Amino acid sequence: MATAPDFETYCQQLFDHKTAAGKPEVLKGYRVLSCTQYILGPSCASYLAELGAEVIKIEAPRRGEPMRHTTPFNEPLLYPLSRWVPEAGTGLGFFGANPNEEFVSLDFHRPEARQAMLELAAKSDVMVQNYRPGTFDRWGIGYQHMSKVNPRLVYQWLGGFGGWGPGRVRASYDILGQAMGGAFGITGEAADRGGTPAKHTIWLADYWGGMMAAVSILAALYWRDTVSGEGTFIEYSQVHGVTRQLESALPLYGRYGVRRERWGNWDTELCVHGIIQCGKSSYPDSKNPQEAEVGYILVSAHTDEDFKKLCDVIGKKDLATTFAKHDDRVKAENQTTLYEALEIWAKDKNKEDVATLLDKAGINNQPVWNAKEVSENPHWKMRGSVQWIDDPNFGDLHHQGPAFKMSDTPPRIKWALKPVGADNEKVYGRLLGWTKSTLAKMEEMEVI
Amino acid sequence: MADMKHKVLSWPAVPIPTPDEVYAGLTDQAKEYPLSLEAQLRQSENFKKPECLTTIRVLDLSKGMIIGNWCSSMLSELGADTIKCEPPDGDPLRWQTPFGRKEYMVKDAETDEPIGLHFLHEMRNKQSITLDLEKEEGRELLKKLVVHCDVLIENYPPGQFDAWGIGYRQLKEINPRLVYAWVGQKGQWGPSKDKPGNLDPTAQAACGFVHGTGLPKEFGGRPTRSAMWMADHVGGTATAMGILAALIYRDKVSGKGQFVEGTAAEGVIRILDYNWAWYGFDGSIRPRYGNWDLAINIYAVNPCKDGYFMVGGGHDRLWYRIWRTVGQTRSDLEDEMLDDKSLRVVTARLPHLKQVKTYTILADWQKDFSRADAMRELLAQQVASGGVNYIDEVAEDPHFKYRGHVDEFEDRLYGKVLYGTTPFLAHKAPGRLKWIGRPLGYDNEEIYLKLLGLGPTDVAGLKKRGVV
Repeated sequence: MATAPDFETYCQQLFDHKTAAGKPEVLKGYRVLSCTQYILGPSCASYLAELGAEVIKIEAPRRGEPMRHTTPFNEPLLYPLSRWVPEAGTGLGFFGANPNEEFVSLDFHRPEARQAMLELAAKSDVMVQNYRPGTFDRWGIGYQHMSKVNPRLVYQWLGGFGGWGPGRVRASYDILGQAMGGAFGITGEAADRGGTPAKHTIWLADYWGGMMAAVSILAALYWRDTVSGEGTFIEYSQVHGVTRQLESALPLYGRYGVRRERWGNWDTELCVHGIIQCGKSSYPDSKNPQEAEVGYILVSAHTDEDFKKLCDVIGKKDLATTFAKHDDRVKAENQTTLYEALEIWAKDKNKEDVATLLDKAGINNQPVWNAKEVSENPHWKMRGSVQWIDDPNFGDLHHQGPAFKMSDTPPRIKWALKPVGADNEKVYGRLLGWTKSTLAKMEEMEVI
Repeated sequence: MADMKHKVLSWPAVPIPTPDEVYAGLTDQAKEYPLSLEAQLRQSENFKKPECLTTIRVLDLSKGMIIGNWCSSMLSELGADTIKCEPPDGDPLRWQTPFGRKEYMVKDAETDEPIGLHFLHEMRNKQSITLDLEKEEGRELLKKLVVHCDVLIENYPPGQFDAWGIGYRQLKEINPRLVYAWVGQKGQWGPSKDKPGNLDPTAQAACGFVHGTGLPKEFGGRPTRSAMWMADHVGGTATAMGILAALIYRDKVSGKGQFVEGTAAEGVIRILDYNWAWYGFDGSIRPRYGNWDLAINIYAVNPCKDGYFMVGGGHDRLWYRIWRTVGQTRSDLEDEMLDDKSLRVVTARLPHLKQVKTYTILADWQKDFSRADAMRELLAQQVASGGVNYIDEVAEDPHFKYRGHVDEFEDRLYGKVLYGTTPFLAHKAPGRLKWIGRPLGYDNEEIYLKLLGLGPTDVAGLKKRGVV
């Protein structure tokens, strides 16, 4: 009998993303209608698509949804945008929020569209939409209408503020969700250190909010399929999600009237557990300013034992005596002293020098990696966290892997995106029985 | 200064608006839609409705980092019977408090034991038991507990549970239906796998997030971490998706559990939008762009009179509405923008110098306005906008109060606690808060009796031997 592999090898074999294609998919047989634009709604549906659901993304005819027209500095684009608009491309803003989906076009305003939507909803398990509250109801395709044609439908609305209450008419974006919800105001360096509130660079409130909604959809499907047999309406407010994340801030304010403020790259609860500046760049000769900039590294030595080791490494044994207790180290004024000492020590080093010295001493650390360093990192490559995919429409694309791993039914990336309306014939033909001439008529009338 | 007393206002300092105030001036027809939504979704109705996950029992063995707590919170908010299983001296998070200030902790009415507010916020709807897994007897008890569990969550150093004989490989033999989730920063396999003690923001730094957040160097900025253990929140949410997917598969298809692995870093890598595509496209390394956006203009936070203020308008119609608003008080600025032919199409406004021009002029307008006044002007034109809220403003925002995004819960043990409510609002089976948290080992007697048939004398024996 062969001996069992060591645990790491076992895990590597179990979770290898290259074997994912040979394994079953959790949501195979579930159909999702994604009537979404921007990031919050699309990302929600895309997580279900990674789990194998048949997600039909429904966009405005010809030019598609607005996110296709966003791309960093207006540079990278994937051509064609659609068969009707071959001279334009899809911007990378759309990328990452719509993998594995089928793409159809439909003008929701039109009476013909309403009929198509009712028929699609009757054959679907989930519908996700993020239009302004009440818009779909006005068009006759809201929850009240869809639940009549399909009581098993899980109908997810997502948006900024929710459809009721004083702020219901307000439009929102990710950055506004971060700002109003409170995460923006507490992130960034403190004012007395020259800082300002800082945006989380990713569209955090959107992409993570979509994840939250996907959690509630999966829970609703579980409840439907194991307990009740019923669908439901779910409302996700992005700004509500952000407020949920504020950790101790609300109870601290409520109980003691203390307002949580910015604390930059250090940690309010642990010390040493912060990001410091190293004096040197890892790539001093690079012409790319992203590489020529000096390095940064997280140093984590908050236990007494690790802190003592750290003081030895930086040649400041006196600090180990002065701040022997965590309760002392973590005080605001002492954090300043300690991180200043660390930055002085790191002044003549780059982040790898610092990492090597700390590794040798057994102290946790993590260099601040840029997009290139992450993309080329053997750890992330081996795990498929970033991966090259052979996209049927756009060729080789560098893509993020799914957000989590499963041994038996792994989520996976099959393709990144498709042009607007690429699956019109397939979806309308197969699901609604539209003939070639119906399709041609709908296209001519610009219903699709 | 620390002993300086100040009066803490009770919450809410300003009363929550009533429906009549909120919908004043609307016709009956216009009121109908929001009121019908309210009737379906109001959190005060939650307890008349069932919960999604009441058939599921979760055992959360994670400690020291919030990713496991966050993950189990997602499930406990949705109704799962969730047991937080801590070492006999407690999850270290339990005792953490900002700047080490014990006066910022709270005590419960029965044991008088202090608890950190960060930990308390993620202890919702969970019971607390203790178990020493370093002892053989503790591990034997765990094997008996998992027979009764659907989900197990742990975040010990990679391979630790396996070496102890309580890893996925061993527990699936005891309970083949168990969904076993490991959570961490970078993973339990691979050349940079987790080391003991790795905590967020390790993941934030390792995934490209920190590098991309904050102002560019030229604006005096540095790479910046999230104030929150944000990567843990993302990774914990992602893992909860994996767990729910595994439960669906178990109960609809296979009858078997499986192994789920979720990391804080990979959760964030997944949502770092076009970082990887852009690098693959032409080797671009996404730069920090502060409070502006590389791919959308107008979409930014800039200073105003009393803080920082966001304006967003990602398409041409909104662009003109924004400058029309500006023109009401500063027609010079409106003219300057609208006269510039190079800025007339949305995509043409994205290059860096065009963004600099846009925001220089926009900030010139908003510097004379408070957040509230600027918002009033822009909302009149239906432009998405709003201030960067401080925490007291979050707690008192009328919209948040009205909808219960922020609420005060009167807990049997901890008294009144202001908290961020679950965002899982639903017509049929919504999430909810049932209790805010539990002191360490509070539920030992109940759980060990209920699940293992151990009476008070048995539990006292375990306590004496330091097992619980």
